Amino acid sequence: MGVMEPHRPIIYLNNAATTWPKPPEVHEAVNRCLALPPFGSGRTTGTQGEDYITLAREALAGFLGAGPPEHVVFTQNATDSLNLLIQGFLAANGDGCHVLTTALEHNSVLRPLRELERQGRIQLTILPFEDGTVSPATVEAAIRPETRLAVMTHASNVLGSVQDVRAIGRVLEDRGVYFVVDGAQAAGHIPVDLRTLPIDAYAFTGHKALFGIPGTGGFWIRDPEAVAPVRFGGTGSSSCTLLHPRGMPERFEAGTHNYPGLAALAAGAGFVRATGPGAIAAKAERQAAFLVGELRQEPNVVVYNDRPGLPIIAFTVRGMEHEDVGFVLARAYGIVSRTGIHCAPLVHRAIDGGVGCVRLSLSWFTTDDECACAARAVREIARNADPQVGTA
Amino acid sequence: MRILRSVRHKACADGSFMKEFLLDGPVTAAFFAYLADFGEVEALPGLGEGFYRFERADWFSIRGMAGDTTVEVRFNRPAMDLTMDFVYALFGLYRDGDPDLAVLKRREQALAERVGKRLHGA
Repeated sequence: MGVMEPHRPIIYLNNAATTWPKPPEVHEAVNRCLALPPFGSGRTTGTQGEDYITLAREALAGFLGAGPPEHVVFTQNATDSLNLLIQGFLAANGDGCHVLTTALEHNSVLRPLRELERQGRIQLTILPFEDGTVSPATVEAAIRPETRLAVMTHASNVLGSVQDVRAIGRVLEDRGVYFVVDGAQAAGHIPVDLRTLPIDAYAFTGHKALFGIPGTGGFWIRDPEAVAPVRFGGTGSSSCTLLHPRGMPERFEAGTHNYPGLAALAAGAGFVRATGPGAIAAKAERQAAFLVGELRQEPNVVVYNDRPGLPIIAFTVRGMEHEDVGFVLARAYGIVSRTGIHCAPLVHRAIDGGVGCVRLSLSWFTTDDECACAARAVREIARNADPQVGTA
Repeated sequence: MRILRSVRHKACADGSFMKEFLLDGPVTAAFFAYLADFGEVEALPGLGEGFYRFERADWFSIRGMAGDTTVEVRFNRPAMDLTMDFVYALFGLYRDGDPDLAVLKRREQALAERVGKRLHGA
């Protein structure tokens, strides 16, 4: 097929933003959900409607090893979850504490915390990373007597580096610091067992590696009392009282749920569980290693993450702006990538001076052929960017 | 060459605003050579049928692949309301490779004064 012909197949390598395609089970779940009347508390639906909210809660609790399903709360996305947890922690514990976060964070963490710092409500320390990770020793050294909260990512959305949240969690637990983990990238890519991790709350999103659709996410919380609700309204329960119910999960959920979205999320999580997080992680590791190896051979390509824990490859091409590389990948090769700073400005400040880079991110549905095509395309672009490089 | 419609819009991380335009015909190397009268053009002819990027500092940039009927235009937001019409003129007055350069140059000069005044006070 010619380069510029319409409807040419695309190679979608922007899965760290939103996975595509979705498993057939997800399509079917959404269609089924929309075809039947919604089931819910106080609604006389009859026997046909499925209780997708409960199904999704149980699916996520099982998938994350989260214990009682009622401790899984549904939100719009990971950003929404993190805002609820951060704002709610302050609402429950008062202003003035010291908070730890890292330079690896997405703006979903950095912006809520920076805003609170700007308002004079918290003191904020942003920890540096080395080789894509923040060490437990760095975390321990930054803890002050007034440190009450730490918020950090489980895996970087730029570097694909997985943080040792178990070791860091132990350090924080010993010092009585509440630990919120942003699992937006990790959940679905690597096995997570919250029963065994020293984590207090874990935020996730539906539309990435859990194969749900945009507009869904949530968080798991170990002790709901540690975080105050900051959103109030109808819950379909205890409706005679004018105060929002404090039981779980209503404590943190107000308003009508995203029924088709949660049906999709349950199906997506079910797909990941059936496929096997171990198998998904192994394939991702193999394909990422292949791409890094290929790109490393090209002297004009700068790879920023040699050993990503998630299938994310961050690179630039010498002599070309990252946006030009992304444009050519899309138009000449039909490859969808993501360019820019990926809502993670401090990561880019550290790795490329804040200029930005090109990110290729894979999913379970990415084929080896697609990886080979992407590698060939990037190498071809790099050779054209500066024909002198690599020639005698 | 005519802009038929803008098919996608996006606010970019660098503060620019991107519009993807669908054209009534494919862009060519000759079209980008013509644009060089109004700014800088970079070309990587070995990529696909040729990758081109036109840049007019403070105004906008245009990225395109030769043979493609869509181009990506990134506007400098503070001047976007002034420069948008000039983008349409650059495409619209390029009729079969015979643009009326005198008209475009007059518009460019008038626009340069207004953009300069707004962005730099001069």
